[in-house]
Amino acid sequence: MSTYRVRGKGRVDASKPIVFTFDGKPYTGVKGDTVASALLSHGVHLMGRSFKYHRPRGAIAAGSEEPNALIGTRRGAGRFEPNTRATVQEIWEGLETTSQNKFPSLKFDVGAVNDAAYMMFSAGFYYKTFMWPRSFWDKVYEPFIRAAAGLGVSPTEHDPDTYASRNLYCDLLIVGAGPAGIAAAREASGKGLSVVLVDENAEMGGSILSEPQAKIEGKTSWDWLSDELADLKAAGVKLMTRTTAIAYYHENLIGLVEKLTDHLPTLPADTPRERMWRVRAKQVVLAQGALEKPLVFHGNDRPGVMLAGSAQTYLNRYGVKVGNSPVVVTSHDSAWYAAFDLQDAGAYVQAIVDTRAQVRQDLQAEARARGIPVKLSHTVTATGGRLRVNNVRVNPLSGTNVGAGQWIKCDALLMSGGWTPSLHLFSHTKGSLTWDDDLTTFLPKDTPEDCVITGASRGLWGTEAALRDGATRVGEALAKLGVEATATEYTVADDRTGSGVMMRELPTDRSPGKAKAFVDFQNDVTAKDLRLAVREGMRSIEHVKRYTTNGMATDQGKMSNINGLNIAADALGKKQPQVGLTTFRPPYTPTTFGAFAGYHRGEHFEVVRKTQIDGWAEENGAVFEPVGQWRRARYFPKAGETMDQAVTRECAATRASVGIFDASTLGKIEVVGPDAAEFVNRMYTNPFLKLAPGKCRYGLLLGDDGYIRDDGVIARVEEDRFHVTTTTGGAARVLNMMEDYLQTEWPDLNVWLTSTTEQWSTVALNGPNAAKLLAPFVEGIELTEEAFPHMSCVNCTVAGYPARLWRVSFTGEIGFEINVAAPYGRDLWEKLWEAGQKYDITAYGTETMHVLRAEKGYIIVGQDTDGTVTPQDAGMDWAVGKKKADFVGMRGLKRPDLVAENRKQLVGLLTEDNSWLEEGAQIVFDPKQPIPMTMRGHVTSSYNQGTTGRPIALAVIEGGHSKMGETVYIPMPDRTIAAKITGTVFYDPENSRLKI
Amino acid sequence: MSKHISSLAPSVVVDTAAARVAVSQLIGRISLRARTNENGGDLAAVGKAIGLELPTQIGTRAKAEGIEAACLGPDEWTVLVPLGQIEKVEDALAALYPSLPHSMTDITGREVTLTIEGPQAAELLSIGAPRDIASIKVGQARRMLFDGATVTLWRDSDTSFRMDVWNSFASFLVTTLETGAKELAAELA
Amino acid sequence: MIQIHCPYCGETLPELEFAYAGEAHIDRPVSPTEQTDEEWAEFLFMRQNVKGPHFERWRHVHGCGRFFNAVRNTITDRFYTTYKAGEPRPDLATLLEEDNK
Repeated sequence: MSTYRVRGKGRVDASKPIVFTFDGKPYTGVKGDTVASALLSHGVHLMGRSFKYHRPRGAIAAGSEEPNALIGTRRGAGRFEPNTRATVQEIWEGLETTSQNKFPSLKFDVGAVNDAAYMMFSAGFYYKTFMWPRSFWDKVYEPFIRAAAGLGVSPTEHDPDTYASRNLYCDLLIVGAGPAGIAAAREASGKGLSVVLVDENAEMGGSILSEPQAKIEGKTSWDWLSDELADLKAAGVKLMTRTTAIAYYHENLIGLVEKLTDHLPTLPADTPRERMWRVRAKQVVLAQGALEKPLVFHGNDRPGVMLAGSAQTYLNRYGVKVGNSPVVVTSHDSAWYAAFDLQDAGAYVQAIVDTRAQVRQDLQAEARARGIPVKLSHTVTATGGRLRVNNVRVNPLSGTNVGAGQWIKCDALLMSGGWTPSLHLFSHTKGSLTWDDDLTTFLPKDTPEDCVITGASRGLWGTEAALRDGATRVGEALAKLGVEATATEYTVADDRTGSGVMMRELPTDRSPGKAKAFVDFQNDVTAKDLRLAVREGMRSIEHVKRYTTNGMATDQGKMSNINGLNIAADALGKKQPQVGLTTFRPPYTPTTFGAFAGYHRGEHFEVVRKTQIDGWAEENGAVFEPVGQWRRARYFPKAGETMDQAVTRECAATRASVGIFDASTLGKIEVVGPDAAEFVNRMYTNPFLKLAPGKCRYGLLLGDDGYIRDDGVIARVEEDRFHVTTTTGGAARVLNMMEDYLQTEWPDLNVWLTSTTEQWSTVALNGPNAAKLLAPFVEGIELTEEAFPHMSCVNCTVAGYPARLWRVSFTGEIGFEINVAAPYGRDLWEKLWEAGQKYDITAYGTETMHVLRAEKGYIIVGQDTDGTVTPQDAGMDWAVGKKKADFVGMRGLKRPDLVAENRKQLVGLLTEDNSWLEEGAQIVFDPKQPIPMTMRGHVTSSYNQGTTGRPIALAVIEGGHSKMGETVYIPMPDRTIAAKITGTVFYDPENSRLKI
Repeated sequence: MSKHISSLAPSVVVDTAAARVAVSQLIGRISLRARTNENGGDLAAVGKAIGLELPTQIGTRAKAEGIEAACLGPDEWTVLVPLGQIEKVEDALAALYPSLPHSMTDITGREVTLTIEGPQAAELLSIGAPRDIASIKVGQARRMLFDGATVTLWRDSDTSFRMDVWNSFASFLVTTLETGAKELAAELA
Repeated sequence: MIQIHCPYCGETLPELEFAYAGEAHIDRPVSPTEQTDEEWAEFLFMRQNVKGPHFERWRHVHGCGRFFNAVRNTITDRFYTTYKAGEPRPDLATLLEEDNK
């Protein structure tokens, strides 16, 4: 058995040894240990180095508030986590842990030179030092700051773990399973309510786990606890351990992170590492307890100096003595009990040093009975020992006078500055706080949420008080749930209650300016830094915090906030509430990105929509691109082809014979009702009232500001039924816009909209042989120029499937779009593919589609337009009905800015040297003007794989329509390209190829 | 190779002690939009035309002779019809159009129906649904969000659901459900 | 994440099912062509940007699909009421009074 393990003490299972490593060295702990308790059982206090000064540090606490003992944990490849609190991480056979912020070793660290250069690193150091000269910013300061920044080392490998999330609705959520939380759960259980009780620790019980001496309702506290938890479980209360309430959001939404596997030696299948619960509770009880405050004195960060309450926890919960000859320094009664417990467990407490002149007689009597020397009205002014405390300097106090120091040998120094209610989640609710002068701390006041707070979080001390308060306070929540509450009156024997006084820095006989009296251990902020910040003009606690970084570390100031406030308030000569408390923000404890991402990582990162033909594209080697949420086939390379080669081939084949294209992603909206034509006419710029059934028309959709929002071909399928198509990315947006006008501006119109985007698989055939290929499959219409001219639409049968057949073209070739019910799309595609072999049918993707349309000057909304382009700007005045009474955007088009001269207009560009232009490249008129040049427009589309044998581009240019034939310039990093302004149609301007 | 889900190829996605998720066979589906009008047009007539009493409260359902309707909006219903009967229903509704103009759109191909059954079916849905599944009573249906996609959820019993999802979302959502069903089963083990 | 009561569904549901749709009670002029440039600009661009109780529109986009109106406090995110599109603007003083009870 390890030296500091106490037989018969604690809740660990001493019969089950577990071996883990710390910095490569194996240690044996027992089942139930944390890394910290196991290391302490071997007398190992040195667990890490501090962030700024690289000072040696040990565990100061026993729970999630720990600022010092941060370690890396490792479980094979990829499973490395930095900054894990050794006080929380449970050990398992084979766990690898490492210390942080040290080089080359924990015991000898070069970075500790920062500690010697202490004066240089005082508050505001970064602000003062890294200012001048300007030339140092990039080359000297930034590398320095980057090297120094960061706590621990980020993992470099892909995380192989999985993460999960779940939504949970319940009547009552209780956060914290200490005495108050358990008592609250007891009152709520068995009443037909759904009750959830969560605790961040591996075991429920809170302070009861550290107080086995108490007798609750006549039972030992531990017996009572296990009976109580069994009862709650039997009554249907959902008990969740290792589950941290990280945040309290609006309307009682609480984020819980449940750690499922970090404590297990082997990872079970299909089990995520962590699960984020989004709990919506009708009522919430916050019973998070209180956190012990450190005392602030020179050398209070030496390994072996720790919180008295934590030492009591290590002893009573883990069966570990943190030292054999501890000294206790306190301003609160609670630390006396820690001294008694350690003495009773075989340690020799060297002294209880209390800053107070008066301490309860019964405590003094108990100390005397145990033979513990007591020093009232004393302060601690220094500690000694290199990597572990080995003595402490104690001085008598007389008023403000500090007498001569006396060194007392020790192997641990246990401190207590009293207790701070844990108000983190309460503060998340925007709850108000009130300052309590007696307790010298903030207490919870009002909250806008349906929430009560109970127990030590309200400043209560002692198990009985917490139990009774939990049972009483939950009544308020239960009443709102319509349940009567009984408020059990618990009786606890051997309860430990007490009080104390608030201390700032402990009084000292030495120069306070040289004291390393730490307030924020993780960020290495001292009392002197806080006072310096005030001297340098910081007045608000928010400024002091940012200037010194007090409370800004990963522990979020759990220990340092109140000490920091007390010292800053003293320096300012104000009361604490006038200086204010910094805001607690989520998460309560550091949370992994995995927990937030949940299932959404890797291939499941976000929704990927696939057409019914996607499988064929995948099997045929398509390269995909994301378009909105869709993945679309971009091109179909043959073996060895580059994208340019594939697209050139696909373009040529389509213009030469026939190409097949999956157009299923186009948005489709069915507009049905007696007012269907009126509605479409009001939404789109083009006239639709007289469009005959069976005909299609191109439509431009504007916003009421006059700018192009979307476009598409619209078919009048029947008198009262339109089939509207939208761009792929615009489908949801356009439907939303249409519903908005229909529901809120024109509710009198008798028409309804139904999204049919996914009702149809849409197969597009384009090319001179498109009609020849398709005709044999079609029943119900002849594919001739007379029977089925360009811009027609018909319900018919294609390949045996009911189909909506369109004759439209987005390529300038003879074109058909065949719509069949979505599931039949793949079969239709394959039949056309097979029959198309004799025409050398070629499948093409979005890239070829883009090239072919650009050659014809057809715009792509969102590429050639950017939300500030009007139909006139785009050269599409022809699409705007001139005799219409109104349409969306009609009035907008007459706004002064939209009819102004010299707007940017869409034109074609042909480079003089036949080079290809970058999309987005800026255009100038005079390439010789001084920099910064006046930019006159930009390239919107540019391709060099097309059928015209040369690169083509579209661009928007100021006054472009009146500059045909003029030369403009596109300055690039290496050269300036000259290009001639042309019309936007590069291929078959007569549209002769559309005819069958 | 990524998943491709089609209602022409019904299959079991995952079957664990917690829940079973399967892709259902294609069935007929109509989106019906209608409201009463001042010309005496009456919703009851619409119900009559399709052969059931049209439910009018959002989330409620009615069923008769193999035809099932769920009210999804104040003037919106999804009507499930056996494939062979679609034309008959369409004709009956068309006959009603002059007196009660409405919108009838065939959405048979739009959605894939997943069945989600088993002791943990409701829990499985809670991994992707922000709303409380318990608020959807047996015999009701809702349009809602599931893992970022709009779906329609039909609750047929405490432990069995149907989820209609637009076919392009199916492969993504099926992956979510598969992961969840395995995770829940591991919890039971 | 807040919860919103849909006046059409009669249910209070997670915000994720809804989409915000701007300030409420801004009617598109019946005859836009008769609007002066100033009037049209007012309609298109000018909004209250209230700090406090705000009349605004939401759409139950992943549910019943309806646009509806709401009064929400832009500081606290508290919804005082929601009501169907087309219904009259409720009296704010009365709403706030009821909320205080």
